[in-house]
Amino acid sequence: MSTKDIARKVAIVGIGSSDYHTLYKNPDPTRTREEMAIDVMRQALDDCGLKRSDIDGLVTGGTSGYEDFGYRSGLTDVRYLADYPVAGRMCASALFSAAMAVHNGVSDYCFLFNSVAFKSLAMKFDMAGQYGGDAASTGPLYNEVYGMASPGALYALAFTRYQAMYGGTEADLGEIAVQIRNHGALNPQAIFQKTHTIEDYLKSRYIAKPLRLLDYCLVNDGCAGYIITSAERAKDLKQKPVYLASFAQRVTLRPQYVDPDFWVEACGVLKKDLFEPAGLTLKDIQSLSVYDNFSLSVLWGLEGFGFAPKGQGLQWLKNGGISLGGKLPTNTSGGMLAEAYLQGWNNIVEITKQLRGTADKRQIKDVKNILYYGLSAVPNGLIFSNEA
Amino acid sequence: MSYTKPLPTPNKEDAPFWQAAREGKFVLPNCPDCGNIWFPPYLYCPRCLSPKRVFKEASGRAEVWGFIEMAQPYVKSFAPELPYIVALVQLEEGPIMFTNLVGIKNDEVKVGLKLQVCFDPVKDDFTLIKFKRRE
Ligand SMILES: [Zn+2]
Repeated sequence: MSTKDIARKVAIVGIGSSDYHTLYKNPDPTRTREEMAIDVMRQALDDCGLKRSDIDGLVTGGTSGYEDFGYRSGLTDVRYLADYPVAGRMCASALFSAAMAVHNGVSDYCFLFNSVAFKSLAMKFDMAGQYGGDAASTGPLYNEVYGMASPGALYALAFTRYQAMYGGTEADLGEIAVQIRNHGALNPQAIFQKTHTIEDYLKSRYIAKPLRLLDYCLVNDGCAGYIITSAERAKDLKQKPVYLASFAQRVTLRPQYVDPDFWVEACGVLKKDLFEPAGLTLKDIQSLSVYDNFSLSVLWGLEGFGFAPKGQGLQWLKNGGISLGGKLPTNTSGGMLAEAYLQGWNNIVEITKQLRGTADKRQIKDVKNILYYGLSAVPNGLIFSNEA
Repeated sequence: MSYTKPLPTPNKEDAPFWQAAREGKFVLPNCPDCGNIWFPPYLYCPRCLSPKRVFKEASGRAEVWGFIEMAQPYVKSFAPELPYIVALVQLEEGPIMFTNLVGIKNDEVKVGLKLQVCFDPVKDDFTLIKFKRRE
């Protein structure tokens, strides 16, 4: 079986998400991840018209335990089960693995969610113990011994390299954060709904220079989830199905997870594995959904997939190139920079809204195919389509 | 004043590396089977999985691959030095490592800057590998 056999055979049929904006504004530390996930499951069931008893597949991310969740949510008869760590790199993998289970008849209707309480738990992203690290260690390359900490600093470091190779000012880079964050202003669910200018960007403080606060994704509580089923079964449900047209992954493990070639080679592999099975080319993509842990992920994917020439991504995206109405609207919900940081899962919900045509003020006209990608130690991508 | 920043706790993988640093030598694991040179000092050769590694003195020559000026006190013991530079350097032998630079002002650091290894005896029983400008 190749991924071609599964192209457009599985669809997202129901979606749900927390009201990120309200949760952020009025934090409720007593609200559990399981509670948020059950709210999302209820929404997703209502959205597609299924009953809880129809769900026979469960993919959990970020809970304190799937057993506890299953018990609380009454999902006691599940044939497909997977549990993922809270890690954006797993967003595409989790969805595709579940899609294979559905395609092969292991599960008829699978509910997937990712629920986090970073803000309430005062999670720190220093990598020492709390994010991919081990409190007793000093990092894979003695990072902490030299004061190196946080994933953002790794990205910042790679940008100094990029600048030395290709040029590009901090104001040029700021275009990404500004254009994506401005989409948040059109999303009533987004945590940040302010519009920004390059001047605002340049006034925001450095975290790890050359990256600034506005280049970083958010730290928040919330849950996003979806129900998937076969394209056949999707026909009988309430919503217009959003098909999974393809999936690709390329694992490139190394002691520091920013790819020294800015993921150009990895994206080349992803591009081939994503577009051929889907029977699509770059020209067929009307919108991008990027795992925007940091603004730079947008730049490197634009160049890696070949939307922009190598080294010219920052010029390419100027003048609203990644804004709604621009060449390639990207992260139309505000992404993880402005909507919420749900490790990519919120991006998938927005993709579904766009391809259903229910993205309200953010709706892209005549959108048919959206490419999602994440770049990390596990570069991966998905193409979604509203055409069977 | 005693040194308060994080230090490695040498184990069987990297004890020879840090011991050599104490003796003023910058060594790297070499593979007698395939010729690979690697860092950090894993026990087995990551290229051919040979267990026969030998430590050999390295050239100590490196270049700045990329760098940051850290502005956030993620590592508390570094807070008094904010903003400070962390560089990722590429060794002449190929591997990369994080380091701090000695005697180079923040605004003088740039990609491609040529470096030479130096030794910073931060404690009686611990010497850190750092880099300075190569003259
Ligand atoms: Zn070898």
